[in-house]
Amino acid sequence: MVSTILIAICVPLLAFAIGLTFIMFKLKITARVQRRYGPPIIQPIYNLLKLLLKEDNISHGVIFSLGPIIALAGSILAVFFIPIPGLNLLTGSGDLIALLYIMAIGSLGMALGAGNTANPNASIGISRALTLMFGYDLPLVIIVISVILQYHTTNLADIVAAQANGHWTLWTLPLSAIVGFVVTYGALGEHPFDIITAPHEVATGPMVEYGGKHLGFLMINHMFHIYIEIALFVDLFLGGASNLFWFYIKMFGVFFIMMLCDEVFLRFKIDDAVRFFWKWPTVVALISLIIVLVK
Amino acid sequence: MEKMTQDQVRTIANMLRKRSLWMIHYCTGCGAMELPPTMTSRYDMSRLGLAPFVTSRQADILLITGYLNVKTLRRVITVYEQMLDPKYVIGFGSCALNGGVYWDSYAVIKQLDRYIPADLYIAGCMPRPEAIITAFQDLMDLIDSGKADGYKRYKRDLAYYKENQRKVLG
Amino acid sequence: MNMSLELLLATPFIGGLLTYIGGKVHRWVRNLIAVLFSLATVGEMAMYYNTTFKGVVWGSLFGSNLVLQTNPITWLFLFIVTAISLLVIVFSIDDMKKEEDEIVLDSYYMQLLFVEGAMVGIVLAGDLITFFMFWEIMSWTSYFLIVHGGKKSMAAGYKYIIMSVIGAYAMFIAIAMLYAKTHSLVYSDVALALSQASPSFIIWTVVLLSVGFFVKAAVMPLHTWLPDAHSEAPSPVSPLLSGVLIKMGAYGLFIVFYGLLSVNLAKNIMPSVFSTPILLYIIQWLAALSIVLATFLAIMQEDAKRLLAYSSVSQIGYVVLGLATGTSLGVAGGLFHALNHAIFKGLLFLAVGAVIYRTGTRNMSELGGLVKKMPFTFTALLLGIIALAGVPPLNGFVSKWMIYEALIQKKEVFLLIMAFVGSTGAFLYVYRLIHSLFLGQLPEKYENVKDVPILMQIPIWILALSTIVYGIFPGLAMDVIVKGMKLFGFTPIAYNLFGFPEGTAMGSLTVINIAAVLMTAFVAVFIIFILFPKTRQVSQYDNYASGQELTPDFKYNYSFGFYMSFGRVIKPILSMSIERVYNYWIDAFKIFGDYYMRRIYTGNLETYNSYIVIVVTIAAAAVLLGGKLW
Ligand code: SF4
Repeated sequence: MVSTILIAICVPLLAFAIGLTFIMFKLKITARVQRRYGPPIIQPIYNLLKLLLKEDNISHGVIFSLGPIIALAGSILAVFFIPIPGLNLLTGSGDLIALLYIMAIGSLGMALGAGNTANPNASIGISRALTLMFGYDLPLVIIVISVILQYHTTNLADIVAAQANGHWTLWTLPLSAIVGFVVTYGALGEHPFDIITAPHEVATGPMVEYGGKHLGFLMINHMFHIYIEIALFVDLFLGGASNLFWFYIKMFGVFFIMMLCDEVFLRFKIDDAVRFFWKWPTVVALISLIIVLVK
Repeated sequence: MEKMTQDQVRTIANMLRKRSLWMIHYCTGCGAMELPPTMTSRYDMSRLGLAPFVTSRQADILLITGYLNVKTLRRVITVYEQMLDPKYVIGFGSCALNGGVYWDSYAVIKQLDRYIPADLYIAGCMPRPEAIITAFQDLMDLIDSGKADGYKRYKRDLAYYKENQRKVLG
Repeated sequence: MNMSLELLLATPFIGGLLTYIGGKVHRWVRNLIAVLFSLATVGEMAMYYNTTFKGVVWGSLFGSNLVLQTNPITWLFLFIVTAISLLVIVFSIDDMKKEEDEIVLDSYYMQLLFVEGAMVGIVLAGDLITFFMFWEIMSWTSYFLIVHGGKKSMAAGYKYIIMSVIGAYAMFIAIAMLYAKTHSLVYSDVALALSQASPSFIIWTVVLLSVGFFVKAAVMPLHTWLPDAHSEAPSPVSPLLSGVLIKMGAYGLFIVFYGLLSVNLAKNIMPSVFSTPILLYIIQWLAALSIVLATFLAIMQEDAKRLLAYSSVSQIGYVVLGLATGTSLGVAGGLFHALNHAIFKGLLFLAVGAVIYRTGTRNMSELGGLVKKMPFTFTALLLGIIALAGVPPLNGFVSKWMIYEALIQKKEVFLLIMAFVGSTGAFLYVYRLIHSLFLGQLPEKYENVKDVPILMQIPIWILALSTIVYGIFPGLAMDVIVKGMKLFGFTPIAYNLFGFPEGTAMGSLTVINIAAVLMTAFVAVFIIFILFPKTRQVSQYDNYASGQELTPDFKYNYSFGFYMSFGRVIKPILSMSIERVYNYWIDAFKIFGDYYMRRIYTGNLETYNSYIVIVVTIAAAAVLLGGKLW
């Protein structure tokens, strides 16, 4: 019992720590690609603590303050459903399909909070966020179904187990894995899919009125978000991992490639982003699905 | 005891604050031209933990980059009041200091800290990136020693500032 | 004991008549009678809940017995019908006060109770004649209810009744065909007769019956009446229409496919695709198309009730999709979704009705920021949209999960993709709804709006709490559903109070764990959150606008055309409309009809006189020849 509670406390902390290191590396990678020296490596910690310790915080209403809290609670919930090496806490209580919906709780919380600001930038940001979600959801669903059919189970722990000994989905279903990468990348909202927060158009979109500790909580939520998306990708396509070290290395590898992509792209228009997702990723994912069906 | 921990918290907080200063992109005059080189690869101000940010709620520093005409002043005050404490203001270039080349213009205010409290001024028309970075470092020292208290002054002397603002804005 | 079913059936009808009479005395007498009788119906329902009555004969017609019967599935639907009707009547008391004309109100309550009684009759029916009789009563009384909603509702109601009548004709032909064959229309006799009939006969009757049910269930392409009717009807009527009335179509489909026709029989007489009989497979596709297209349409709406109406088309798609899978898990999911949809769609319509009651508009771009003024309605609506979007741990999620799992088991991947897409699209329109009504900027004219009176709050909150209860304890509903499905020859699925253990589907689900962890995480985060420095409330005009000062007369809100950019993406799909096809045919008929009508009704007195002479001559000849014309 005690050990369960300890694990239950440790898992979110672990996810947070991994997300935090990713953000650290992100700033540094961006700087190096742009031939800058870049901020100190622990800059995100300074930023986060500074935000949390702001003396003054404003709120536009209860929902405004609850938004980041719901978002963070939803993210923590989702963390428990993703198998970590050696720890499958709640994978028996809900499967991959449940996870897809649990991951929406975070976005819902953020959308509610942002909506309460009465700021058009925030509303446009949310409108774009949901539209983009609708966009990448179609290929995402198709590849998830192809993975499910491949392993005849919707239980994530079983899917990970079935990929043991190097039988990664990446090798057996390469097309799905490629689409999975694109979709995960879109879900992270990096260039060219950073339409939601586009600072020059909608002034960081949903975050426009958030400052102080609220923004700090949203930053923490973002770290969780990075962890969830990439860990899910690693579990689905890179065979999970046998210990935490390899898990981290795999996740970092995926993240590193994504950050390099982030540097070279410009920004899509929102309808073009949706059209993009509904065109090539969808077609490729369908081909992969048909391969699984026929096999 | 209570006071001591509070002091300690404040010291730690100040230490963190000076290492993570977010400035709002709000360019009032031609001095803003010197900010892009300061931000980008050549001078790279992110080394000091500085980053440009978009909205008034997220930012810590307000840069008054040059001449401030009366029309803009109204917006600057709104932005300043929307920023969350602690917040710092840097007057940028001679125009903010004493009117500069616009010393006799009817449309430009002459002395910034009659309207909002400035923590620091950078002299020059326009100041070079080196000067800007030095100014940021000075601001950090001020924050560390607790002397960058413009936002407290604004609260304390609100009547004075409001009076001056009303005089020009009507 | 023996009279109990008749009593249950008669209570709403008697109540309706008494309500009308009571209205002549005083409006409070009328309201009291209406509430009491609907309460009595619920009470009777609760009293006999889950007892099985077999074939209570209550009359006979054309030599066929009129039978009432119950089984657990019946009780599930009776529960939906009576409970939602009661809540609707309670909600009406305050909401319909704005109606000046007391006589109109008298008949309004009477019709409400009649609709309830008709639906009870449909569910209790044990033979096709009873079924059809109450089906028609339901259609007509609900038509009268719809046209209470003002000028525009006349056209909407007209459309509704025309399509209902077409559906009813189709059903009637099928029933007549069956009668000609069996001379008894009791379900068991019909089932027996069908098992020996020729395949073409079976397919014709089933297709014709299904058309009738499709019209009522608003499955595409027969859905066009629903958005108009449900949005123009008075706000308390909409939940009844959307939550309950369209479920009668789903119930009819269930009876036809699993009561009259069994899956095994269907498999024998027609080819199968993905181990589904082809007829059911086609129905699945229609349902899936309903899901996706109606979702797209709902996203583009500007009218809150119209948005919900399109969402109903989409959600009933899930019900029909689940029912048409033919597997235990899928059918159970469909039935459960019928219950869940009644709960959350009732809730959403009532909550939107509450907003309309206070503000007088349902145009979403005129509203906003009401969360500060109507916090209770907001919370209830929030629960409703979470349930509709299918986010755990509320009820919409569990039934959708079951339907997905059933489709995965059958490898019907394309349907599954469509179902998934529809549910992601639901996020878009439910957020639009809550954002435009409750979030965003509060217009100045709604500064003095208050939350709705207690009598309107109670129904809303009962439904809101039900979304949580059925979400966390799906076993409560599964008890009834599984027991009932056993009677229809399905293998029972494994379940427990909190969800589904391993082995039921391809995964397992325990909702209470999800809810518990979510709550714990929420509380933990909340405590951490309040440890940090305090927050200060600012007004909605103290807002980032690039330094611009905002004033109340300035609309600083983004609520019109919320998904305009998405609209550009789906433009090619939106431009297709089945309604235009219908209108084309209507116009063609009009021209055709006009041409021949003018030949007969010339407007010339002499022509008419000659008609009379001809008719009289023929009649006289008939009498003279002793009734033997040929
Ligand atoms: S100080 Fe010089 S550079 Fe700066 S705003 Fe004034 S005139 Fe322009």
